[in-house]
Amino acid sequence: MSDVQQEVTNLIYREATLLDRREWDDWIDLYTEDAVYWVPSWANEEETTNDPELQLNLIYLRNRGGLEDRVFRIESRDSYASVPLDRTVHLVSNVLVQKEDGDDIEATANCIVHTYGKKGGLTRGSLYDFNLRRINGELKITRKKITFIDDRLEGPIDVYHL
Amino acid sequence: MYESIIQRDLDALIDDRVSDGMFRVDRAVYTDEAIFEQEVSRIFENCWWFLCHESQVANHGDYFWTDIGDQPVFVHRQEDGSLKCFINACSHRAAILTPFKQGNAKTLTCRFHGWTYKCDGACIGVKNEEEGTEKGKFDLREIARLESYKGFVFGCLNSNICSLEDWLGAAKPWIDLMVVQSPEGLEVVPGSSTYKTDGNWKLQAENSVDGYHVSTVHRVFAHTIAARESKGEYTGIKKTESGRIAGGVPTAGYSLGNGHMSIWAQHTTPEVRPIWEAKDRLEKELSPIEVEWILTKGRNLYLFPNVMLMDNPSTQIRVMKPVSANRVDITVYCVAPKGESDKARAGRLRKFEDFYLTAGMATSDDIAALEDTHEGSMARDAKWSEFKRGIRTFTRGADDDAKALGFEPEVSSDNWDHEVLYHGFYRHWLKMMKGEQAG
Repeated sequence: MSDVQQEVTNLIYREATLLDRREWDDWIDLYTEDAVYWVPSWANEEETTNDPELQLNLIYLRNRGGLEDRVFRIESRDSYASVPLDRTVHLVSNVLVQKEDGDDIEATANCIVHTYGKKGGLTRGSLYDFNLRRINGELKITRKKITFIDDRLEGPIDVYHL
Repeated sequence: MYESIIQRDLDALIDDRVSDGMFRVDRAVYTDEAIFEQEVSRIFENCWWFLCHESQVANHGDYFWTDIGDQPVFVHRQEDGSLKCFINACSHRAAILTPFKQGNAKTLTCRFHGWTYKCDGACIGVKNEEEGTEKGKFDLREIARLESYKGFVFGCLNSNICSLEDWLGAAKPWIDLMVVQSPEGLEVVPGSSTYKTDGNWKLQAENSVDGYHVSTVHRVFAHTIAARESKGEYTGIKKTESGRIAGGVPTAGYSLGNGHMSIWAQHTTPEVRPIWEAKDRLEKELSPIEVEWILTKGRNLYLFPNVMLMDNPSTQIRVMKPVSANRVDITVYCVAPKGESDKARAGRLRKFEDFYLTAGMATSDDIAALEDTHEGSMARDAKWSEFKRGIRTFTRGADDDAKALGFEPEVSSDNWDHEVLYHGFYRHWLKMMKGEQAG
């Protein structure tokens, strides 16, 4: 495995681990200030929406503050949907470096998230598209697109379910 | 389609003694499957049921597959521009005819045995036709009634119902307030979200016009938005209006007749609303009272039995598909004035995503509360849900705001914390459950 492949894989694994272990601040630190976090909605049975500005998304956060909003709400313990918090296990696989251009890297991965909560166990899948940038020798996420393949959604969907 | 008639005394389910200060609903209305079966046959198949918005079937051949109660139907745009709605089942052996929820097909060919139907429902092709299965005998079954009100398409399986306009009645001006925001009308924005809810459809109906929960369930949303804005990252149209959540603003609730209900709350920062850019135009085109309602009153409208129209932080069509007593599937669409600027459209969508989705930061909390309410309703030994707030203070007929806009509610209440609007909902529900004339 090349160094870059290993480095990218470690970052994506680390994100999954931080989410499952509720280490929110360290999770947010993986993202740059101007990072985009995008979960499109489904435009039809076969295609998601593809213009995040002018079409409906499930989540579309245009900077790290959007992730901070989510964590603020979870940590407030005042969100009905987030108390009690669902348990999650992320299994990330198929990590591939798609493109390297200086300090910028594009990578894809697949993720299965097993959730346990009021509705019992739910297992759902996503495709991940990452844009990463090496900053001061460290890889950071500048953009993450999550194609959540489930359509008729059961229960709340928050950043730790994805 | 169910034929069963429940054995319960229906009148005993609604303890309606307003003059004694009493209005309670037996929680069995949420949990009893026999009651649900009777809702399907007595209510869902006998009222005007929201199907789709006309922009979802804009062109000849566009179809939209949905359900009336538990019966699949599809709306199809005809060559002459009119709409028809058919039972979505092949006349031969019942396979669904539309491969997608939404699509375009000027003829539909059943993918099972290849029978073909024209846009107008005529059966024009039977594979290996023989005596007894001649194509001329197998046209699609058109539903009894189909009417649109300003772009909103409704159908009824029973021909014996009043006109859609009469059915909507006092709700019409509330719909108009959305439609007049653009001279070109409204359009559904691409994308949608469907979520399954483990709760009764009437709990969703109640929630959509329940002002009383806002300052508890959505307190965290207001705090989250306040924390965001304190960082100064979100200004202008990017702000999400949340001032109403803490309370202390003028509000009202109405029972509009035929089970329809609505609420409004005064916006504290109307200038961040996506429609604000159209203020000058609206002031030229509309009356001052209409402009005031559009710009400064956040509004939720529930149309009995299956659709809600929201014009609050963003604009939404929320459609219910009741599946059983304990489950309702909900699909939400962002509906927007055609021709608005990209900036307004983007602002409208981001506010929608913040609040209105199961992946958002408010609707997800609503669903959790609704599901808990349903689960608590399983406790038959404590059978009454209370709808008493405002019972001593409500106004029969129109309050001053209703008179000014020009609609005639059954009941007005000067606080969205009040619950008297549900009385009309449950009275209409009871009337239909007893098989009395729909409207």
